[in-house]
Amino acid sequence: MLTFILRRFFQTIVVIVILSYVCFGLMNLMPGDPVELMISANPRITQEDVTRLREFYGLDQPVYKRYFAWVSDISTGDLGYSRTYRIPVTEMMLPALLATFILSMASLIFSLIVAIPLGILCALKPNSKVDYAVNLFSFAGISVPSFWLGIVLIIIFAVNLGWLPAGGYQTTGMQYSSWFAEMMDKGKYLILPMVSLSIQSIGRFSRFTRSAMLEAMRNDFIRTAKAKGLSNQVVIWKHGFRNALIPLITIIAISFSSIFSGALITETLFAYPGVGRLIYSSIIGNDFNVAMVSFVISVSMVLLMSLVSDILYGVVDPRISYK
Amino acid sequence: MNTQNPTLNKAQIAQLEKAQSLTQIVYNQFKEHKAAVIGAYVILLFIIVAVSAPLIEKVTGLDADSQNVFNRYRPPMTRVKAGTDVRETAIQRFIDQNPEEVIIIQNQLISQKLVSPIRPEDALYDWAQLDKNKALDAVKLIDTTKKSDLRQIANRFESFHILGTDELGRDVMMRLIYGTRVSMGVGILVALASALIGLFIGALAGFYGGWVDTILMRITDALLSLPLMPVLIVVAAIDLQKLPFLNQIISTGNESIFKLVFILCIFSWMSVARLVRGSILSLREREFILASRTLGATDYTLITRHMFPNVLAPMLVSVTLGVGESILFEAALSFLGLGVQPPTPSWGNMLFNAQELIYQAPFLAVVPGLLILFVTISFNYLGDGLQDAIDPKAMRR
Repeated sequence: MLTFILRRFFQTIVVIVILSYVCFGLMNLMPGDPVELMISANPRITQEDVTRLREFYGLDQPVYKRYFAWVSDISTGDLGYSRTYRIPVTEMMLPALLATFILSMASLIFSLIVAIPLGILCALKPNSKVDYAVNLFSFAGISVPSFWLGIVLIIIFAVNLGWLPAGGYQTTGMQYSSWFAEMMDKGKYLILPMVSLSIQSIGRFSRFTRSAMLEAMRNDFIRTAKAKGLSNQVVIWKHGFRNALIPLITIIAISFSSIFSGALITETLFAYPGVGRLIYSSIIGNDFNVAMVSFVISVSMVLLMSLVSDILYGVVDPRISYK
Repeated sequence: MNTQNPTLNKAQIAQLEKAQSLTQIVYNQFKEHKAAVIGAYVILLFIIVAVSAPLIEKVTGLDADSQNVFNRYRPPMTRVKAGTDVRETAIQRFIDQNPEEVIIIQNQLISQKLVSPIRPEDALYDWAQLDKNKALDAVKLIDTTKKSDLRQIANRFESFHILGTDELGRDVMMRLIYGTRVSMGVGILVALASALIGLFIGALAGFYGGWVDTILMRITDALLSLPLMPVLIVVAAIDLQKLPFLNQIISTGNESIFKLVFILCIFSWMSVARLVRGSILSLREREFILASRTLGATDYTLITRHMFPNVLAPMLVSVTLGVGESILFEAALSFLGLGVQPPTPSWGNMLFNAQELIYQAPFLAVVPGLLILFVTISFNYLGDGLQDAIDPKAMRR
């Protein structure tokens, strides 16, 4: 068990290091040179100044040297400055990470709440009309582009009906009298992004729940439980669902990275100030330091979360042997 | 059997007793999955539309790029009159091409009092300002060898837009049709190319095992664990012009499409590779492989002749599902402005333009997404149907 955890941890670290190095190298290939951006506002700058600036920022060094300098900066807790906003990256990262965490978790919980009952409903009545309808719905959920769904939701609920805000995080200039008022206000902004982010996981989870539940209900102990005269509810929830839960946990573990992927587009569409939008806007705005830091940190977070859920999976199901 | 089904005649019994080939079984099985069959037809329809896009352009006389800024955001089913500049350019070109014939036409137009220009040279230009029907009537009355050309020009004076016009006055339907080409082309190309990469890597890893397997599978797992969208965005934002060795290869025209295909390929071969590796690992231990190895077959022959046919069927499912996924990724990247670059239309970048216009023209934002949904759902159902059809556990003979 310990060797498994250590090996998985080591693998994750290697992936993060390689990824950050590759990403660091790729940033050099993006349009827009940092020094050129700096001097574009100043027409009187000379060639010597440019060379001096390049030397000052270490841009004349080869990539690997700059990478090591950058990593040693980061390990001391100095994440550098944003070139666009002129504030430390740390100040931007923490609220962004928190916002994305809230959005992803809300979406994960919402999709589980919707998907599990749907999946169980299908599994209890396979090949019925309900089953086909839910099946169609799940396929549509997997196939629908989440950003398009977001646009449609905005058109319906924000433009036509005016019930919910079209985007943002909270009402600007709002003074909250209590934490409850704050939650209600932010929750209103969370609904549309959450729904459009969840639809894909709902499709995937409900299909998965259905097959896991079908599998579980086929076990001999279900027949025994029914023969004992237990009520339907007890058989379904205590005997069937509990056993269907184990494969479900795996799919939740895998879905962290896809939910984060989706969050990036959803955040961009709804102007939700999460880390996905931060990555996107900093890349588009040539703010390379922010792009690097937010990309590496958020991807590392996702990888570590998958790692943790992988380990938890072994705790939940003792039948899994670690080799 | 005869006693149970007295209606069966001899031929039908013979039909029943005949052994079915594997493809026949799979085909029959597939036909039972109604949604998959519908999906296959929808895909076929879209492919036909995409292939015949230039033909549709010719028949309708609309093209995807011509702009008409005076007629932006027209609702579906509207007729739009072409601007003066468009008409005069067409006439100018006609005059340049047939200088002699033009004089005859001009004289006829004036003598029949169809137009009354100040100068005789302007007769055709005056004709161009007429309505479409009047212009066509005028063509009927005059006697010239270039009648069909003139009629063609007159037909362009007015255009009918089934799905309305977009923010630059371009025909939405034509752009969607050309977008079908780009989006489905990218999807199918990526799925096929990444299947080839996955086949190659999976075969290497599965057949040779040992450290080759370890390294390749670690890379595969690492790529699979990454959240794709941020990685794709970082890679898609690269300026390929900064890579000196690629600079010469890439032509400027459709650069963004090839770049997109390339990037999507890098990050979508993993599932096929794992699938192929798994199949080949189990095939490696089978007797027929041992037999052909004993007969002196080389590794290459073993892999390509004896193993590939056995992994093709599960790969087909994976490729089909991969097309849908690639279309979604293409749309997402283009939606973020990092995929297919305008003016080349793709469903994704049509949505990119439309997201800012949801107040003026919500219709523009709805249609491309619906098409993405239809095509992806069809590919997913098709993959599901194929999966059921080739799954030996679900096979009914």
